[in-house]
Amino acid sequence: MDTLFSLAHGFTVATQPVNLLVAFIGCFVGTVIGALPGIGPVNGIAILIPLAFSLDLSPVSALILLTSVYYGSMFGGRIASILLNIPGDSSAVVTCIDGFPMAKKGLAADALAISAISSFAGGTLATIGLTVLAPTLAMAAIHFGPREYFALYVMAIVIVGGIATGNPAKTLVAGLLGLAIGTVGIDPATGIPRFTFGAYELYEGIDFVIVAIGLFAISEFLVYIEQRRSGPVEQVPVGRRSTALRRLTYPATSLRAGLLGFVIGVLPGAGATLASFMGYALEKRVSDKDGTFGKGDPRGVAAPEAADNAAAGGSLVPMLTLGVPGSGTTAIMLGMLVTLNVQPGPLLFQQQPEIVWGLVAALYVSNVILLVLNIPLVGLFAKLLTVPPHYLMPGVVTVSFLGVYSVNQNSFDLLMMVGFGVFGYLLRKLGIPLVPVVLGIILGTPMEQSLRRAMAASGGDVWTLLESPLALALHAVTACMILVAIVREARRRHGEAAAARGA
Amino acid sequence: MNIIAGRRALGAGMLGLAGLAAARPATAFVGPRPECLAPSAPGGGWDFTCRTVGRLMQELQVVDQPVQVSNMPGAVGAVAFANVTSRRAADHNLFVATSTVGLTQIAQRRYPGDIDRVRWLAMLGADTGVILVRADSRFKTLADFLGALKSDPGGIVTGGSSSLGGYDHLRLLLLAQKAGIPAADLKRFRWIHYDGGGPAVTQMLGGHVEVVSTDLAEIAGFVEAGQIRVLGAMAEARLAGAFADIPTAREQGYDVVGLNWRGFYTGGRVSDEHYNAMIAGLKRVYDSEGWKEAARRSGLQPVWRSGPEFERFVAGMVSELRGLSQEIGIIS
Amino acid sequence: MSDRIVGVLLALFAGWYGWEAGSYSVGFGDPMGPALFPEALAPPIGLLGLYLALRPDPEPEWSSGRYLLAQLATVAALVAYALLLQPLGFILATLLLVACLTAMLGARLPQALMGGAATSLGFFALFDWFLGIPLPPGLAFGG
Repeated sequence: MDTLFSLAHGFTVATQPVNLLVAFIGCFVGTVIGALPGIGPVNGIAILIPLAFSLDLSPVSALILLTSVYYGSMFGGRIASILLNIPGDSSAVVTCIDGFPMAKKGLAADALAISAISSFAGGTLATIGLTVLAPTLAMAAIHFGPREYFALYVMAIVIVGGIATGNPAKTLVAGLLGLAIGTVGIDPATGIPRFTFGAYELYEGIDFVIVAIGLFAISEFLVYIEQRRSGPVEQVPVGRRSTALRRLTYPATSLRAGLLGFVIGVLPGAGATLASFMGYALEKRVSDKDGTFGKGDPRGVAAPEAADNAAAGGSLVPMLTLGVPGSGTTAIMLGMLVTLNVQPGPLLFQQQPEIVWGLVAALYVSNVILLVLNIPLVGLFAKLLTVPPHYLMPGVVTVSFLGVYSVNQNSFDLLMMVGFGVFGYLLRKLGIPLVPVVLGIILGTPMEQSLRRAMAASGGDVWTLLESPLALALHAVTACMILVAIVREARRRHGEAAAARGA
Repeated sequence: MNIIAGRRALGAGMLGLAGLAAARPATAFVGPRPECLAPSAPGGGWDFTCRTVGRLMQELQVVDQPVQVSNMPGAVGAVAFANVTSRRAADHNLFVATSTVGLTQIAQRRYPGDIDRVRWLAMLGADTGVILVRADSRFKTLADFLGALKSDPGGIVTGGSSSLGGYDHLRLLLLAQKAGIPAADLKRFRWIHYDGGGPAVTQMLGGHVEVVSTDLAEIAGFVEAGQIRVLGAMAEARLAGAFADIPTAREQGYDVVGLNWRGFYTGGRVSDEHYNAMIAGLKRVYDSEGWKEAARRSGLQPVWRSGPEFERFVAGMVSELRGLSQEIGIIS
Repeated sequence: MSDRIVGVLLALFAGWYGWEAGSYSVGFGDPMGPALFPEALAPPIGLLGLYLALRPDPEPEWSSGRYLLAQLATVAALVAYALLLQPLGFILATLLLVACLTAMLGARLPQALMGGAATSLGFFALFDWFLGIPLPPGLAFGG
């Protein structure tokens, strides 16, 4: 009962007019900033901190401002994914798979609305989960050790294979190339530089933003030039939602993906990216009866969005109960708490419950405002696509350069982005999917590190990986997935001997 | 084009705000965009240093723009070091948190470059190395733990926030050396590297690592919560306040002092003028009540060294750590 | 044919990657070491490459003629932009790039120049002033 009372108090604070106004500004600015690829919540927060100080906001209001910027920019990232096929941050990669095809079909506004609604559903689910289960879940999450994490990452890599359509060998190669690209840079466990060729620029590894923007945005431009060969590229009618809002909610999808996302979010380090594509893969397995996923299926947008937002909520569990950041989001929030002179740690719940529940309430209020703010605006965002392509496409290229330049401010990264653009173009022509490459890069380092930790703990005994029941169970599920995939593939080959290759 | 126009209008609005901020009196500390670079993930020790000092700088009006804290984790600071030396050597907006942990890496030649590649500003305090176990552990004292380690060097899983041979690991090896464990056996210890003291302790609570060697400040909350036991602190004398009942390693018969000082460096091509202004700004932070309060709360002992004195201290420390690492066999 | 070439290239890459990974080692304490993970990635990449070489998909339709030329010119323009951004400054470099790309996509020259000017000035305002991400001023503001 204490919890509910504290939460109610948190909501009272969060819904004061000044805080609602602050949340509104934060959501709007965040959305605009997030729509620029490569520019994320960190930049948004950096801009608004001076504002928070000059308006002399109370700590709680400041916290609300920053959380609303965070949520806003997360939604903004979806705008670039859906309209332009540029994943603005790592958890938006999966949204491209079905979001961009929807936009191509003229359903951009629908896709954006689905994204907003499912995000809201995921966020709601996470807030409930957080309120009811936080302490229990935190204790469960600490049982996840290196072996269990490794099993989870192996499963994730295998799931990547299930996401993409087309030649499985090519999907696998794409994922492996991603893992290989991820090994570039200084090895965290020993400090040895790998595959850097002595270039300092590569010591930090290749930033996700550079790869994603290059592979997606620049290759898109090259593809566009070529498409004009088959006559002028027709413009799709956009601007209006074509469906009633009611029919853009996918309750079953959101519930499934949201629950999964929340559980993954609770594990420190696993994060929203993993959640978003596990959610997508689950939905594809459950619902993709007619092979519409990857070609603009609305559920393919709803699932990762719900999972992603639920994970963002779930990752608050380790942060609030243990003081350990569970994701990029919470890392930023932890920093904010320190700036506000709040010491995060295992005692935060007992010592400063008003901060904790204020934060939870603030997150939820941001969720609501984002929905209210953006549903009317989706048509406006979608109108971006009515800009004539010969202005829009060069503008997109400029934004891409800017997004990459903002990471490290040097030319080396820009050249690397162009290189990845050409690489991405070639991969697309060859029918090698791009998403597994990006996910391989994201998952490679944590996967290797968890394996190395498990090996260090066991003194090099490989069997240790199977000696934990939880890890064993995860590996068993992975093995089943591989088996099913092989059987399906064999049947498919058998059934359609002369299969035409997909696009 | 509507959206672009809207953004521009918004930009103009924000511009007005920036103008207001710039109207305040200029201070000599750093350039227009003060930035503290923490070479760790948020929540780590270096991150704490940056955020606390950044907050105080603003409270004391050492800076007139808020200090932006950016995080660049990777290879125990080597990534940030590479970034600063290669790209931001002359950036007088930037100061980078570091500590004995970073120096250990330089001493073992794990950074791309030696100490002369950057300018050492000042240290503001020292953190204390501690050996931790879970509250329900079989080890009650350092002697219990080191005795078990001596009889079975490869049988106990240890870990901390540094990579192999890093300062957390090195301090554990020093203790073991004092306990009479032969050098050949030191190499058989199992050591797991985590990205920070917090994650290491969390994993210890989950039973994935038995003993953690790290700094007190980052995990002080866990000690206060009673979830973990401190077997020994590697300090010269007992700590003050809430940590007074932690026994030192020295009083248990192992004469090892493992202090992890906290300080800052800046790019190697920053001018003397800016270098001195930065030191003066840090001194104002050090002298403030706020810093003493923050230090006390987190188990940090305030210590001040700056400028040439600090540079000599750094050089001495590096040669000492380098010798030690060679003796134990971490580097050749 | 394309898949065969790619397959062989992948196999060669895998060989080099695995061989290069083998050169990373540490003295003591890390039972797995920094080499094993990349070494483990190399064989599957190589085998999949060989598989592609032996069982290729149908040939994709490659770009040709003036479209290929346009693509090559685009890549050249992008590379030039990456190199010239800092010396020329953001406004001038972006104006040139956007004008070139816009003209290539079929706009008239005055339109292209207008588009370039609008894009570069708009983004400069957005990033440098609003977002506080400093862009190289370069020649446009006299260095």
